[in-house]
Amino acid sequence: MQIVVFGLNHNTAPVEIREKLFLTESQVPQFFNALRDRDIEESAVLSTCNRTEIYLCTNDADESLAVIKEILENSFNIDRRILEEYTYTLKDESSYRHLFLVASGLDSMVVGEAQILGQVKDAYRTATHNNATGYLLNKLFHKTFNVAKRVRSETRIGYNPVSISSMAVELSKRIFGELHQRKVLVIGAGEMSETALRYLKKEGLHEIFIINRTFGNAKKLAEDIAGIPYPFESMSDLLMQVDMVLTSTGSEKPLIDTGLIVQVMKKRKNRPLFLVDIAVPRDVDPTVNKIENVYLYDIDDLKDLSQKHLSDRLKESEKALEIIDSEVKKFSSWLRQSEKNPLITFVIDKAEAIRTKEFKKTAQKLKNADEETLRSIDMLTRAIVKKLIHPHVALIKEDSDRETSEIIKRLFTLEEEDEKDLDNRDEGQ
Amino acid sequence: MNVSIFYSAIFCYLLSTLSYLAYLVSGKKTVERTGHYALVAAFFIHLVSVVFRYLQAGHTPITNMFEALSFFALCIAGFFLYLKATYRINSLGCIVLPFISILLIWALAYPADIKPLAPVLRSYWLPVHTIFSFLGNAIFFVSFLVSVLYIIAEREIKRKKTFLFSARFPSLETLDSINYRCMSYGFPFLTVGIITGSIWAGFAWGSYWSWDPKETWSLITWIVYAILIHNRLAIGWRGRKTAYLMIAGFISILFTFVGVNLLIGGLHSYM
Repeated sequence: MQIVVFGLNHNTAPVEIREKLFLTESQVPQFFNALRDRDIEESAVLSTCNRTEIYLCTNDADESLAVIKEILENSFNIDRRILEEYTYTLKDESSYRHLFLVASGLDSMVVGEAQILGQVKDAYRTATHNNATGYLLNKLFHKTFNVAKRVRSETRIGYNPVSISSMAVELSKRIFGELHQRKVLVIGAGEMSETALRYLKKEGLHEIFIINRTFGNAKKLAEDIAGIPYPFESMSDLLMQVDMVLTSTGSEKPLIDTGLIVQVMKKRKNRPLFLVDIAVPRDVDPTVNKIENVYLYDIDDLKDLSQKHLSDRLKESEKALEIIDSEVKKFSSWLRQSEKNPLITFVIDKAEAIRTKEFKKTAQKLKNADEETLRSIDMLTRAIVKKLIHPHVALIKEDSDRETSEIIKRLFTLEEEDEKDLDNRDEGQ
Repeated sequence: MNVSIFYSAIFCYLLSTLSYLAYLVSGKKTVERTGHYALVAAFFIHLVSVVFRYLQAGHTPITNMFEALSFFALCIAGFFLYLKATYRINSLGCIVLPFISILLIWALAYPADIKPLAPVLRSYWLPVHTIFSFLGNAIFFVSFLVSVLYIIAEREIKRKKTFLFSARFPSLETLDSINYRCMSYGFPFLTVGIITGSIWAGFAWGSYWSWDPKETWSLITWIVYAILIHNRLAIGWRGRKTAYLMIAGFISILFTFVGVNLLIGGLHSYM
């Protein structure tokens, strides 16, 4: 058995190509069915805006890849040229090494971003729901989640934020601590404000005020995303109330100067004020930063920080690579072990097949059961099976002469025949 | 007996210190918890050793350098535990704990044996005066550390270059709010300490105020903190400026405690 990955990502294909080989949520099950019809037993599909990758476990890699290309071309109307020119195929060690890298965020466009792990988890969940994965891929994906978790906790790869909005929020946490009691004023209703608003909304700030020269746009933005619109004239009143200000207007001249902020700070009794100016030309006079308890960051400051954070992440990625290398070695030796001793895999597979079958029967009967109950039952059966087959596996490892093998084989085959027999009798009654 | 209790307290403080330093590097929650429980254990063992010493000696054990340093460390540990229960300030442990350990190891450099109390100190005012003064000073010591941290972190955020401290330690607002709390607890303790001291002096030496170096410096300290309170409440000072005044106040305490005892001498030089 061989683990193989086939796909494309942001390094090998531009966005217009990636868009074409994007499998939507409804297409993925269809794809799994097509693979199953062609006798590819284990597969998983990871499709995001930056990559589409198909993971396989197969006996004949070349044949399976040909089958996949054929399916993609015929059933999903994907140009053969795309499948040949923009894709990569990785086999064995380099394939699972690649999956470890992807899940840890090391293969992402922004190194260290955390979203990808969730996407890998979703991809795996979809695959298991469609019964597309089997023993080896299950093992591989669980291992992958462990590796990604290790990388996150043992390196500082995702520690410092790199996007403008997330950096602004991180900085304000360093000034104010928790943000859920805090208020923010957004000045301007352009695209930058929109992105920032989405992020701020997610952070759960207490109140978000929006002002704009054209009141209608502020109102629309508030309705579309979040916030309370105010007329532009109320700016100095709002400046007294809020903790954080985010400006991104198209104004030619600064809207906020030192005089205004000095006045505001007096009325605020020197409560700290954090200003983030992402407009070009700037909306806030840079000398405002000199005022006591006022912190002003403009777009260049944030860009410098972002650069610094990115280079920190690159430094950290070396540590992450070490972790991944050692995990790849571990996984390789596990694979070798299971190949050297196919009987172990045989036993585990048999047991897993019985388990899955019985679990599905029960799940079908329990129509009212919710997701959690089903998951608990799933876990329970897994645990029982694991405990039951452990002595067999241990015995095989300990003493692999022919006699033991025969006994073990007979034990497990017999069980299956027994099962058929029993099932028949059940139906007969 | 007493000595072994004291040593086990030091052991726990050291364990806590090491855990907090490891927490600073690794950021692991379990390491922080270890440090926390070691600190709680250390505090109570230390408290027991002080109570034992009180029972053995028959008087409040704050009468020589060993006892003073030990009791000062105990007050700091207690106040820090109180702050920890109020704010989320786990990371401050790696600043406060090393100082507690240093104070206790420093205490070991002085003779720890119990001596009969000098006649002039035999008074009910001894516990009242010393406990209030030490509590006040311990609170101001914590606020001194917090203020230094505030100034470094604030400078980092203003200058936008490096974020070594501001990224790891509590937010500016949290630090400022701890400072405010220290001010509002420390000042009453300090005031009561000075007044009870003065009354005691009236009984013991026949004069309420004799301008010896210790009295003078504690008055200066009191004035610095009074200015701080005035500026904070009446003028609305916050953040950096109050942090600087807190530091000035503590330097003045250092003069009162260390400078006068070790360098100048005077009526208070029992320790």
